[in-house]
Amino acid sequence: MSIPRRTVLLAAGVIAPVLIAPSRLLRAGAAIEVAMQGNLNGGYVWFDPIGLHIMPGQTVRWFNHDPGNAHTATAYHPTNYQRPRRIPETAQPWDSDYLMPGETFSFTFEKEGVYDYFCVPHEQAGMVGRIVVGSPKDTAWKNDADLPKAALNAFPSVHDILARGRIHAEMAQ
Amino acid sequence: MKKALSLASALLASVSLTAFAGSADKSIVKSPPASPYQQVSKLVPLPDFLPGMGQLFVDPATLPAGPFLAYDHDKKLVSTIYMVPLKDINPNNSFDNLSAPGGNVDHVDVYYNAGHPGVGEPHAHIVMWHIPANKESRVAK
Repeated sequence: MSIPRRTVLLAAGVIAPVLIAPSRLLRAGAAIEVAMQGNLNGGYVWFDPIGLHIMPGQTVRWFNHDPGNAHTATAYHPTNYQRPRRIPETAQPWDSDYLMPGETFSFTFEKEGVYDYFCVPHEQAGMVGRIVVGSPKDTAWKNDADLPKAALNAFPSVHDILARGRIHAEMAQ
Repeated sequence: MKKALSLASALLASVSLTAFAGSADKSIVKSPPASPYQQVSKLVPLPDFLPGMGQLFVDPATLPAGPFLAYDHDKKLVSTIYMVPLKDINPNNSFDNLSAPGGNVDHVDVYYNAGHPGVGEPHAHIVMWHIPANKESRVAK
């Protein structure tokens, strides 16, 4: 049986927006969630995913899922607690301030580059995250010595983030 | 880490055992405890009731170590807690004559904590429970 061309076109006209809409929404409006997590006794705390690849214009929303702790998502930047800059030079730094359990904070990334961030009370314990926006050329920071060892060791590589899209924290797997 | 926690245990042992055997200070057995104790969640951004610990009070002058007083939902004292930064457990530092105002201690837990507002660095929680282990569920959530 042959399907009339008009029917096919009509069907395509109905189906195509349905198929395309989710990816468009993801690009333009829907925030990508990064969970703030911790185990019961507070021994482990982490962002999940810890590494994330997004495109310019996309929004990330941090959500505190830890019932027993407050967390922040804070860009490495001198305006934030005099921490070294580990976001693109012309990018806007952000600081969520403390998020209590169930609270969220959103930030839209406009410029291509590598963005490293940390949780203020948990940087020493290695609660950090990395977001790669677009396909940046400059992917290395030269201020590693200014970071706590636990934080430095926790960052996933830019290469892995670009290859996999998102990297889940070890504790989340 | 194991070494640090062992040191924390040794530190705990230095707390006067006679204090453990005493009766509780009546001004603190029910929440809220008398001044100078203040509710931790009003001093720093933390949930009012911490799962596994309870509602905490502390004398700000004793921070970061404490003691912190922990209460259950019925406002009864369940534990006295010390929070000792791991970096402070070293040959040049000591914590002497720590008070144990909660009276009798049933058992003690010592464990690592990654940090939280108020003690923003890895530290050891030294929890002196005033209730039996099988009653800890009173502060589970």
